[in-house]
Parts: sequence; C-alpha cells; structure tokens
Amino acid sequence: MNIQAVLREYILENHLRGEYGEGFEDTTPLLSSGIIDSIGVLNLVNFIESHFAIEFMPREIAPHNLETVQQIQQAIQKKLDGKVAG
Amino acid sequence: MLHHWLRRTAERLGDSPAILEDDRLTTFRQLCEDAASLSHALIVRGLSQGDRVALLMSKSTEAITCLFAVLMAGAIYVPIQPRWPAERIRTTLDDFAPRFVIKADESGAVIVDSTNGKQLRWREIVAASPVPCPETSVAPDDPALILFTSGSTGNPKGVVLSHRAVAAFVKWTAAEFQLGQNDRIACPSPLSFDLSTFDIFNMALVGATCVLVPDDISWMPRFLTQFVSGQRITVWYSVPSLLAGMLNEGGFARGSYPDLRVVLFAGEVFASRSVVQLQAVVPHAACANLYGPTETNVVTWYRVPAGFDPSAPIPIGRACPYAEVIMDPSNNTLLAGGESLMSEYWNRPQETEQAFVNISGKRFYSTGDRVSLNAGGDYVFVDRLDRQVKRRGFRIELGEIEAALLRHSEVLEAAVVASQNQETQTSIAAFVRPCPQGNLSLIELKTFCSQFLPPYSMPDHIFFVEAVPKGSRGKIDYAALKKRFAEEMLG
Repeated sequence: MNIQAVLREYILENHLRGEYGEGFEDTTPLLSSGIIDSIGVLNLVNFIESHFAIEFMPREIAPHNLETVQQIQQAIQKKLDGKVAG
Repeated sequence: MLHHWLRRTAERLGDSPAILEDDRLTTFRQLCEDAASLSHALIVRGLSQGDRVALLMSKSTEAITCLFAVLMAGAIYVPIQPRWPAERIRTTLDDFAPRFVIKADESGAVIVDSTNGKQLRWREIVAASPVPCPETSVAPDDPALILFTSGSTGNPKGVVLSHRAVAAFVKWTAAEFQLGQNDRIACPSPLSFDLSTFDIFNMALVGATCVLVPDDISWMPRFLTQFVSGQRITVWYSVPSLLAGMLNEGGFARGSYPDLRVVLFAGEVFASRSVVQLQAVVPHAACANLYGPTETNVVTWYRVPAGFDPSAPIPIGRACPYAEVIMDPSNNTLLAGGESLMSEYWNRPQETEQAFVNISGKRFYSTGDRVSLNAGGDYVFVDRLDRQVKRRGFRIELGEIEAALLRHSEVLEAAVVASQNQETQTSIAAFVRPCPQGNLSLIELKTFCSQFLPPYSMPDHIFFVEAVPKGSRGKIDYAALKKRFAEEMLG
C-alpha cells in the first residue's frame, strides 16, 4: 500500500467513521475543516511514526504542515528519503 | 496596578531576562521601554483609559509587550486566539468594539486603528527613542483584561477581570511557591486562557523569566518534555492533559529534572493515577492542583502530599487566602467569592446578574460545579450542574455545538453529549437528524461547523439518526443518547 492509501485508510477509520471516502480527496483540508482536531493530529503522528518507523524532530512538523493527505505524504517521504541517505 | 510591577522590576533588575522566546532574549529594561513607546504611540493616536485593544496573536514577546503597553495606557487588553474560526473572531470583535486590533506579522506586529483602518508597524514604534511610562489614573478595580469563554447560546462571552482580581492570584502564588528572579517559568497556555496570567505577571512581579513554549511544539508531548529539561524550567503551570501526555507518551518519566521545583495544574480533573506518576518523576517538586473557573480565576488549591493515595479523586482543596468558598446547600454547588472575582460579563448585564448571588452582603459567583467535602475537609469536584464540559482545559458548552450544527440548512435536529474515559479524557458525540431528501455528508457537516466552532469544541463523532430520542415531555433524552454513545464506542 502506498503512503497516501495508508493515510486515507487511517483517517477514514478514525475520523470519518461511516463515510466511504466520497468527497475525501488528497487535498481535502483536515485541520481547518475540523475533520481532525489537535489530539487527532497527535495520534496521527504517533501512527505515522510507528507505521513508517520514523521519528520527527521539533520544527520538522507542525500541525499547519499536516493540513492535507498530500502534505503529510510529502513530510513522510522527505523523512524516509533522509533515512535512506543517512 | 499590574503594569507598575513591570516598571519597578525594570528599575531593579533592568538587565535580567524577562522573556525568553527560542534564542531571543528580552531584558526587563527592553520590555519596559518597548511597552512604554508603544503605549505612547497608542495614546497619541487616541487610545483612552477603559478602551479595549484586541491582541489577535499567539503568546510571543510582541504580544506580551503589547499587553503591558495597553495596561500602561489604562486600557483593557483582550486576547483572541488567531486560530479561532474567522466568523467567531468577527462576532467577538463586534462584541467588545476594540479601539485597536494588534496582529502578528513578519515585522513583529501590525496595529490597526479601528476608527480609520490605518496601520502602524511595530518597528516604526519601538525603534523610537525611550520614553517614560505614561501616567494614568487607573484604580485597582478598573478592568485589566477580558477573556472570552464558550457561551451556551453560541456566542463567546467576555469575562472582565480587574487589576485587583489578577493581582490577588499572582501575589499569592509568588508567596506560596516562593517565586523569585532565578525562576524560569513555563506556561504553555495561550493569553486567552486565565492560566497565562500566572507566568506573565509573576515575571513582572518577582523578576522571574517567562520562557515561552513555542507554538509548534506545544501539541507534541515528547517535544514538551525535551523543552522542560533543555530550558531548565523551574516552574511549570498547565492543564493536566498536557502533563498526562508528557507522562504517558512524552518520555517524561524517563528523564531527570533537577531544576523543576514547582508543578501546578488547573482547568480540568487530573486522573489520580497520573498525579502519582508525576510525583514519582519529580519527587522533589511541589505539586498542586489549582481550581477555579475563568470568572473567579483560582479560588481553591490542594498541595499534593507525599504518599498521595490514588484510589480517590484528587481534591480541589481549600480556599486560597484571598478567596471565600461555600457549598450551596440546595444543590451542593460551590459558590466562590473574594478578591479574584470577575467584575462582570462584558456587555451582558442580565447574565452578570444571574451569575452572582449575594450572601450577607457579599458577592459570590455560582460556579455550577457540584462538589463534596472529603474526610480531610477538602472539597472534591463531583460533576457539573449544567451541560458544560472541559476538554484539555477548554470550557465547552454542548449547547454551543448544537447551535452550530443547527445552523446548517439540512440539519433538522441536533443533540450533543459528552463522555469521559478512565484517563478523564472527554469525547464529544453529536446525534444529527438530517433532511431525509438531502445528501449531507460527514465531511460537509464537519467543515461547516468548523466555521463557527474552535477546534477543541468540534465533536469527535457525528452520528446521523432518523430520530433523536425524546422523553415524555418532548425534551431530548440525553441519558439515552449517552448510553447509545457508549454502545457505539464499544461496537
């Protein structure tokens, strides 16, 4: 499963129970739209860190950088690329 | 007056650090001079005693400078969370009609004159040569700040706090916890939260350093824990949920914090199990539970004793020396009086009148918190008399969420309930009866509500139902909905 699919599945399961993903795009705002709140973001980041075996440092991510599935995917990809390079 | 504290401390400890924000250090002299310059600039442009100034900014060096500038002019500062939905910000600004609105920008801050829309840049003002602090005839009972909290009708209401009210709380904490110029205080609460009067004004009173918790780390327990040790914080004051996060997920328990000597928490119930965990991490620190709604600030407190028994809930304790509390025998709610009481709700005389009761000529605020007295003579919080809940220290009126849902044209009925898990975390569920011929989706409804509700008020779960259960008199059966919510969560 690619990164987007993993994220979509997690968000649908935890924040949009009962929905089937209609109208949920990779560019749908997640925080400003109220789909995910701040505790939700925290849980999402915990999930990402354990699923992809990465660890974010302060300043590498902030809730406003995690506004859409697309943005989150980019943050994860950047971290994964850094891991391979390092 | 609160701003006089800053002036006196700047005279005494001019070169000492007042604010530390990341690597940026501001001394007391700098803070006082910048605030005085800004205060003059605002007075020259028409700011008068009693006027309101909106601070639409997060807790930053500029924001703190601005609030002292406003106080020096004898005016009232009104902090507004910039992350609130635009609609909520607009209706709140309309409510208190600020003379100036100050917002953060790249230059530090921009000051907008509400009468003509003219903008003034921070750098233009604070670059000017030092000026003495303005002299005003502010009295202790004059308002210093207005804090907006959730209102049950859908619009936030402004709690007006005087210089006297804030001073009573701050002076007591300084004496009780022996705060001094060597302390490095961290309080991650935004300015719009009454907790933030603790760090800002103790800084001014005793010359302690206010170490600002960066916005972009305050959501992540692990980063907060690193902050406490890295910044050698000596005094911490926050809502319990942040501490619980640090203890459970932030690796707090694995670290060592020799500098941390006072840990205070307030705003919601802290699970006793977590309190014991906290004591184990900082056995040398004084830990205390502070209690009081925004309308009264802190009125009771409980110092956690060594060997605290986690089998009972942590008490809210006994009255602070400047406060008086009594239990209303008719419904067991706590009535709070004394110096820290709010003056009024801004622009709401009727609600102000309803909020207070007079007993033997003294004014008491009716908290709506049901309490009991334990064997040791300490008060213990039991529950709420109304439909208000707390989440991460934020006060939420369930009625406000219902009002937001009902604004949607396809929502026929809405009922909101809350529940708490064992860790005392609050979840909110909304039951919504949509128009049968409509096509309302969860994403659409959440997005719609986020225009009116702050993020912490957003329901965690929205259930679409064909009917909202009613009692025999046609009233919504909230007990049945709570049960249904619990079942949904199990299923």
